[in-house]
Amino acid sequence: MHEAIEVLAPNRVISRKTVRWMVGFQLVMLLCIWIFSPSVFLPKPKEVLQALSDLWFEGLGSELITSFLLNLEAIAISTILSLLMAYLTVIPFFRPIVAFLSKLRFLSMVGLTFFFTLMATSGHELKLFLLVFSVSVFFVTGMAEVVASVPKEKFDLARTLRMGEWRVVYEVIVLGQADKAFEVLRQNAAMGWMMLTMVEGISRSEGGVGAMLLNQNKHFHLSAVFAIQLTILLLGLGQDYAIGLLREIFCPYADLTLERK
Amino acid sequence: MVSCTYGKTLLKIEDVSLEYDGRPILKHVSAEIRDIIRADCTQGQVVGFLGPSGIGKTQLFRIIAGLNRPTSGRVSINGTDRPVQAGEVGVVAQDYPLFEHRTVLSNLLLAANQKEKDDKVAREKVMQYLNEFELIDKARLYPVQLSGGQRQRCAIIQQILCSDHFLLMDEPFSGLDLLMLERTCALIQKVANMDELNTIIVVTHDVTAAASVADHLWLMGRDHDAQGNPVPGSHIVETYDLIERDLCWHPEIITHPKFVDFVREVKDRFRTL
Repeated sequence: MHEAIEVLAPNRVISRKTVRWMVGFQLVMLLCIWIFSPSVFLPKPKEVLQALSDLWFEGLGSELITSFLLNLEAIAISTILSLLMAYLTVIPFFRPIVAFLSKLRFLSMVGLTFFFTLMATSGHELKLFLLVFSVSVFFVTGMAEVVASVPKEKFDLARTLRMGEWRVVYEVIVLGQADKAFEVLRQNAAMGWMMLTMVEGISRSEGGVGAMLLNQNKHFHLSAVFAIQLTILLLGLGQDYAIGLLREIFCPYADLTLERK
Repeated sequence: MVSCTYGKTLLKIEDVSLEYDGRPILKHVSAEIRDIIRADCTQGQVVGFLGPSGIGKTQLFRIIAGLNRPTSGRVSINGTDRPVQAGEVGVVAQDYPLFEHRTVLSNLLLAANQKEKDDKVAREKVMQYLNEFELIDKARLYPVQLSGGQRQRCAIIQQILCSDHFLLMDEPFSGLDLLMLERTCALIQKVANMDELNTIIVVTHDVTAAASVADHLWLMGRDHDAQGNPVPGSHIVETYDLIERDLCWHPEIITHPKFVDFVREVKDRFRTL
């Protein structure tokens, strides 16, 4: 009873067991709302499972692999480009350039399609360009902010240890902010999935779950739409967990002082 | 009085001035620290650097550390005729910064390797310090897992491993309880006396604590005009030689009436700055 009250009080740290009970309860509630919802636009779990099974036989698995590989490729390129650009902000010359790139996040992807189509030699390349661009402008914004927020004391510490300025950058920014880089990556990798479905709608040459989703949407197959969304959600959760795991392995110090671990 | 002689000049501040946007912060600051030689023991140097808030202590601190360049004048160490470079003077900042992404051992090895290229020798040196400062069982921990006192010791070791016998400490007594204050004073003296050339400059507001560990005190302040208004640009207005006054290197010195009178004298002068 006491624990039950604790979960409703602000800033309480609750045990893992209580977390499990609480999340379990919330999931059951969500399922109940889903099952007993009177809305005709909300397909029932049974219908979604049936649609998932049908989609699987129609090739959902291979479409998922196509999308997953495209997203992975885009995230890898975006990560390298964005980290490089963000780290380059230590040089004053690059700061306005990165600030400009960061402002490009307000541009619409649809408006950029024509420009990227001219540059790309294949459908895959077009999708890759669009994805890399849309993820990178957000990634570089987040990461440049991380670099800019490193306190002066950290730089001074490195300098008092006889480090040259490039070594200072490596120690204080590259290594010192690695945990935050993983966090920014996690957020932007998730955004990659959101963009992916849009990009696969723009260029359907290789298929992918995005194209599949748009087809089902067009024909109002709501249970199929839900099934695809659910699959993407599960895959995204797996990706999120994997990046979190990498962060824990490479940056075990990151969460040591947090109240809620 | 404890007898001692003075050897070579270890640190020299020559006519240092600093201006920001034409506004003088420091004006013609000059001081020097010389090697104190005692026949019967290894004696390092400890200077207490006092002054009111906003007087420019931190600015001078950064110039001595080689982190900032003065507008004119120079700080040099070990009798060289070139300005001090960052890294030659260790700096222990108020919040004891360490690399949070490295363990205690890794932080110290990094510092040791900056000066000693032989990994084995560097590791031995680190282990020796970890034992000496009772941190050996904390070697695998990350800085956030250390207590304030452990973190302070770790930061001091890191800087000693890398610097050329010089250590600047910024407000090491700030926010400490009585027991921790005594421990920090003992630690400063221990570090100073580990090597004849070890020289520690303690920047603080705490007159009593500074006087209890230092052999000299520098008091920083500003001149005043005829109307009593402070003239911009600080400098060292007073230097107190505690050896000359026989207030140095005595156990339990803070209870001595002469010491109490001295602290009062410094505090009275402090109020006029």
